[in-house]
Amino acid sequence: MEAFLGGMALLLDPKILLVVFAGTLIGIVVGALPGISGSTTTALLLPFTITMGPVPAIAFLGAIYCAANFGGSITAILVNSPGDPSASATAFDGYPMARRGEAGRALGMSAVASAIGGIFSVLVLIIAAPLLARVAYSFGPPEYFALAVFGLSMVAMTGGDSMLKNLIAGAFGVLLATVGQDLTTGVERYTFGIHSFTDGIEFIPVLIGLFALTELLEQASQLRNRAWVAKLGAVRLPSWDDIRKCSKAIWLSSVLGTFIGILPALGATTAAMIAYVETRRWSKNKAEFGKGAIEGVAGPEAANNAAVGGAMVPTLALGIPGSTTTAIILAGLIVQGVRPGPHLFTEQPLLLYAVFSSMLLANLLYLVLGLGFAKVFARISLIPPQFLWPAVFVLSVIGAYAPNQAMAEVWVAIAFGFIGFFMRRYGFSPAPLVIGLVLGRLVEETLKQSLLIFDLSWGGFLGRPIAMTLFGLTALFLLAPLLVLKLRGRPS
Amino acid sequence: MNSNRVAAAAVAAIAVALFGATFWFEKMPEGITRGFGAEAFPRLVLGTIVAFALLLALLSRTGESLAPIPAIVYYSGAALLLFMAIVPLVGMLAAMFLFLLGLGYLWGERRHWVLLVSAALLMVAIWTVFVRGFGVQLPQGIFA
Repeated sequence: MEAFLGGMALLLDPKILLVVFAGTLIGIVVGALPGISGSTTTALLLPFTITMGPVPAIAFLGAIYCAANFGGSITAILVNSPGDPSASATAFDGYPMARRGEAGRALGMSAVASAIGGIFSVLVLIIAAPLLARVAYSFGPPEYFALAVFGLSMVAMTGGDSMLKNLIAGAFGVLLATVGQDLTTGVERYTFGIHSFTDGIEFIPVLIGLFALTELLEQASQLRNRAWVAKLGAVRLPSWDDIRKCSKAIWLSSVLGTFIGILPALGATTAAMIAYVETRRWSKNKAEFGKGAIEGVAGPEAANNAAVGGAMVPTLALGIPGSTTTAIILAGLIVQGVRPGPHLFTEQPLLLYAVFSSMLLANLLYLVLGLGFAKVFARISLIPPQFLWPAVFVLSVIGAYAPNQAMAEVWVAIAFGFIGFFMRRYGFSPAPLVIGLVLGRLVEETLKQSLLIFDLSWGGFLGRPIAMTLFGLTALFLLAPLLVLKLRGRPS
Repeated sequence: MNSNRVAAAAVAAIAVALFGATFWFEKMPEGITRGFGAEAFPRLVLGTIVAFALLLALLSRTGESLAPIPAIVYYSGAALLLFMAIVPLVGMLAAMFLFLLGLGYLWGERRHWVLLVSAALLMVAIWTVFVRGFGVQLPQGIFA
């Protein structure tokens, strides 16, 4: 309780207030820009948090993460082009509402549902993360290895449609984490004589390349697409009738979104899609869905914002990212010299509670900003790509260059921009690669430590029930789709 | 051509090449490696990747051929590389300014004055925030 109050007190610090406000504002603006997702923004702005210190840095990134999901709904509703993938389901009913002149009502409901979902999940985070950390506190290297493998297996569901391709991308991420000096032997691996690779590949240029530069090349191939843009009147608070109609959808989706967010590697986009389906299933107005049902906006928006707090639970309590953006936030913490995990709760409780309270504040801020300035954000979302993307490139270059002031890092970013483009072309999402990269070192270190404990015998894992349970869950998770197909009698 | 099988073949080829590279890692005595050398973990991961690639090839009986990449993507990619090539010559700020003009024009903007003004404004913002504010020292080029 003391740490929680201490964390809340940090919000009285003008510097923290300023970074949370800036993060929220940036999150909404870039969330509203088609093509620039929350993960791209956090990757792009990660280098600028290095000089901030851990608390403001994580508060800033957390605020961006919270607000980008809401920002994405602005273009989903007005342009039918979700600014953030997590707002895809919002477009199903938000855009039809806008076409019949109810854009303001849809955006108002989106802001309120987002804030309720977001605040609910942060409250769950405040309660669940310390409990989960307490469970994990007794974990040794074998349990951590099993947990990291379980986290990696969840990348099968992250990003692209093909489990196998996601797993391949995740494994390449793990491999990428081996570049540089081996910690045990000092042997250089995959450095190819490049001096700056000796300490490993830096997260920042890889993230900037995979998200911002890959997206630039993707956008180049879509230049001719022009969307019909809905007119936006004043954004208004939902009426009492709207609230009553959507209350079940909002609460159901908040719970669903938080739970889905907690599962490693399942993020806001999955949460929103499932919430949309469930909202429709439990609605009395099923026929309205897809034609402009306000519940179809409320459900996904509550869920995708609830997933944010949920995804932070395994990220902070276990050091296992719950989504692509939390993988980037995790990288941000590592860059700051902080290794998330259960020990953080005893060693730096103030940092954690500062994160929780800043996320609460961000959820309240985007409600106010969203209702008050959605019209302005909607205009920003219409910046032509021929101005937006060259500017994104310039910021990417500065972002990759600035931390070490080295052109080699810019080359790495550009190389990963091309790699990401070809990955996406062949159906490989960059998201699992990032999660693999973030978890790679943990996997290798804990495997080595475990084998040393077991005198190099893999059979040693058999005597660790928690590790074996996690391995069992991993196997079940990976084989479940095949088993389902087998039971249905369909060929794979 | 089945794009999934093309992807699987490319993945397997890269993994095999990287596996081969592990044989060139420096050898250390058993006392230091303690039975788990620097090459062991990458080999384990690469073996897994090859297994996944084989599965992908086997399970992908059908796969669409991909549409050709539009020419504008090649030009945009070339613009990124050109940017990197001219930074050592003209410095980073000037290269960025030229890039903003070039890519904007390439992507269809024909109002020259709008391009010039927007690029100049962004450059002023970059210089103010990063060079003056954060003290980032950008490459100056050979003419500085």
